[in-house]
Amino acid sequence: MSETRIEVKDLVIRYGEQVAVNGVSFTVGRGEHLTLLGPSGCGKTTTLRAIAGLEQPASGSITIDGKAMFNAAERRNVPTEQRGVSMVFQSYAVWPHMTVSDNVAYGLRVRKQAPTELKANVERALDLVQMRHLADRPASKLSGGQQQRVALARAVAFSPTVVLFDEPLSNLDAKLRAEMRVELRDLQRRLGVTSVYVTHDQEEALAISDRVIVMNVGVIEQIGTPEEIYNRPRSRFVADFVGSANLIKGKLTGEGLFVAEGGPVLKVSAAHGPSGTGNEVAVRTAYIDLAPKPGDNHVAGTVRQRLFHGDFVQYVVDSAVGPLIVRRPPTNLLEEGASVTLSFSPEHTVLLQG
Amino acid sequence: MTLQSAEVLRPRWNWQAIITLVVVLGVGFLVILPLVFLVEESLNTGDPMSFPPQAYGIANYLAIFDEDIRVLWNTLFIAVMATVMAILIGFALAWILTRTNVPGRAQLERLMELPYYMTPLVGALAWAVIAGPKSGFVNQLWKRAGGGGDLVDIYTHFGIAWVMALFEGTVAFVMISAAMKSMDPALEESARVMGASKLRTTLTVTLPMVMPGVMGATLFVFAEMLGSFAAALVIGIPGRIYVITTAIWDSTLAFPPDYGRASAMGLALFIVMFGMLTFYRRMISRGSFATITGKAFRPRAMDMGRLAWVLFGVCCLYVFLAVVLPIAALLFTSLQRFATVILSQAQFTLANYQTALSLGPVRTALVNSLMLGFGVASVGVLVMALLVWIIYRSQLTGRGAIEYLVMFPQAVPRLVFGLALLWAWLNIPVPIYGTLWLLALAYFTVMLPLGVRTLAGVVLQIDKSLEECARVCGAGWVYQMRTVTLPLLKPGVIAAWLLIFMACVRELGASVFLMGPNAKVIAPSIVNAFASSGTELTAAMALVQTFTVIVALVILFRLTRGVTRELT
Repeated sequence: MSETRIEVKDLVIRYGEQVAVNGVSFTVGRGEHLTLLGPSGCGKTTTLRAIAGLEQPASGSITIDGKAMFNAAERRNVPTEQRGVSMVFQSYAVWPHMTVSDNVAYGLRVRKQAPTELKANVERALDLVQMRHLADRPASKLSGGQQQRVALARAVAFSPTVVLFDEPLSNLDAKLRAEMRVELRDLQRRLGVTSVYVTHDQEEALAISDRVIVMNVGVIEQIGTPEEIYNRPRSRFVADFVGSANLIKGKLTGEGLFVAEGGPVLKVSAAHGPSGTGNEVAVRTAYIDLAPKPGDNHVAGTVRQRLFHGDFVQYVVDSAVGPLIVRRPPTNLLEEGASVTLSFSPEHTVLLQG
Repeated sequence: MTLQSAEVLRPRWNWQAIITLVVVLGVGFLVILPLVFLVEESLNTGDPMSFPPQAYGIANYLAIFDEDIRVLWNTLFIAVMATVMAILIGFALAWILTRTNVPGRAQLERLMELPYYMTPLVGALAWAVIAGPKSGFVNQLWKRAGGGGDLVDIYTHFGIAWVMALFEGTVAFVMISAAMKSMDPALEESARVMGASKLRTTLTVTLPMVMPGVMGATLFVFAEMLGSFAAALVIGIPGRIYVITTAIWDSTLAFPPDYGRASAMGLALFIVMFGMLTFYRRMISRGSFATITGKAFRPRAMDMGRLAWVLFGVCCLYVFLAVVLPIAALLFTSLQRFATVILSQAQFTLANYQTALSLGPVRTALVNSLMLGFGVASVGVLVMALLVWIIYRSQLTGRGAIEYLVMFPQAVPRLVFGLALLWAWLNIPVPIYGTLWLLALAYFTVMLPLGVRTLAGVVLQIDKSLEECARVCGAGWVYQMRTVTLPLLKPGVIAAWLLIFMACVRELGASVFLMGPNAKVIAPSIVNAFASSGTELTAAMALVQTFTVIVALVILFRLTRGVTRELT
């Protein structure tokens, strides 16, 4: 078997006149955890549902384990139930008329598994999510977090090789969401399944993925590891949507030199090859220092506003390139009105594609 | 988990497509074909009994404005009068129950549904007993007290309108209170904050916001009034006041039956009602109706002080006039040899019930109705569940057309549909005319909108991903339906079953045309008994029917606490 588990090629999905997904291609390797990230309406969920066979694309192809699941040219469309993928739904879709264990056993019963084996598999799946003690409870009597766990157990109980996640944590409160994130990452590693995960939460995407695909209005903006996406945003959209960044307008003059509007000349890195039209750079708010370091870009400014967030402090600094946002640890607080020299390395001054 | 083989990769030609095709053809056959027959017959200017017609023309339509101009006038006069009364009743009740602190609001709201289940037929019979000339209870008492002549006479235009309004009032109530409830109280509160007085707020904010709802209700109720049959039949015919529905019925009773004229009148009525209902739909679906947001608010109740008890009395009076008094009058009548309210002359007996339950034709009719109710509800619910799934869940092209087709009988007055079926099956060479089979077919068709709407209410509440998840888990369509969809539909299915059962047991409009000597059903038999036997037996029969419906209703309320009827 090849190293590629899922291959999506030139996928186009239309709803009537509207194009939801417009020519998306990517591959997912065996055991890889890939996340589709983007704002609502960017086509990420539609893409995921197409992999599951719940949406019919207009063109393109979807291949799983080398077998064509969808191929517009060959008019081939394998029904959902024969694709052998599993999925965790945003609404959990836990069946309220069944008990917890009936929910989890569903996929096994469909596959006509023998009773003893079935029981063992259900228990194993429930153990994974620490829900075994609630096995006989009616699913209608579960809290949101518990439903989430049942949905997860059900999705992995029949040992699928591919699990699709459609914003599974978006209905949980912030604290539970953070906990489940840790558990999910752990579970993915232990089961060794291939997963495609959809979310609009950039923190979540960065935290649990091997690779992230940032989507916007039906097309892919950037594919990369979480570090690449964060450190080397390709476009203004990625810089803005993932993490927080300062965008500085200006003009590229020579190789690696950028004249910002307002005068200062910045040394920049062009992460994505030569780009003649690039007239904007991104600097992450976390990568700006308030003390000058040699070799860095330096910009003088005045602290206009200080917001104490607890885990970090956010300063708004008026500078020659406009107001810049700087996030520092909550130590050595600066007063509003203080003069500072902002310092950030050329490596973190990323030229964006125009 | 691996894929079985490459053979599975065939396109999705499947069950769904076949079933849909069968359904479209079947429903189309049931719904549209009879009307095609009716249209043809209405244009028949030759011998009305011949099929296909020997000559075509529009003489039948022209006759409506010539010979039947009196009927049109009666219809319009009664419908306007009844609509005005029904809307007044509905508006008053809606205002009291949504905007004031009337005591026992929740319970009263529940009681307001009762008249709907009473049926206009039973109500009309009861009011004939209460306010009929000479022998009516009120006039008996009046004479006893020394009054001359009749104090009241129900066999008048006003009498018909009164009975119709009393039972349509609850429909108006539901529609208007929905409009009142869907108004965000913040709209009124902000007017008050800006400094407007209570009165000014009512005039400048509340009324303009509620008005569209009231207009919609008026239109809807008026259309219903034009097509209403039971009250006009029970009260109008003894008083020789014909409206269009009773005129249609009457012309099929003539010898030879004038089906051409009946068809023309029926289609004219259908077209007018259809136009009005379409206009009504357009009206409520238009975005400008800001009160209709789909979200229900509980507007702040006005403190009425002592007046609250007066308003409480008003609500009770309505329930008394529409439910308690009619039932009491029928009960009282049914237990006597000769109906009288003068207690010293009363001879109490159970003989009427004995007759009703033992006498051949009456009992057969009752048993037939129950059988039809069971059969149509049981088979119907299965088919309708399938229809609902196809319309609201499948991806099939043409499901919008199916929805339209299924909802179509709603726009056709029952009576006209009955007439259409009569004519169609007299001429289709399948000998089911005059048997229970045709009645079953007719009931199923006219119940389609009711059943589908009830079931759709449940289906739309079921999150789509519950079904999708079953597919992702590997279940095929049939397995998914069996293990997920149908079990989730169960409460809705039970509710729909009971509603259809009730509607079958009370069905009158289509039944009058389709009942044969060997296939009698209860509602038309009650009407016949009223015309030929005494009121005492009729009252007993009406109560037996009502009792059956009440039993079904109690079960319904027990099983499904949330299912309220939908009227529009």
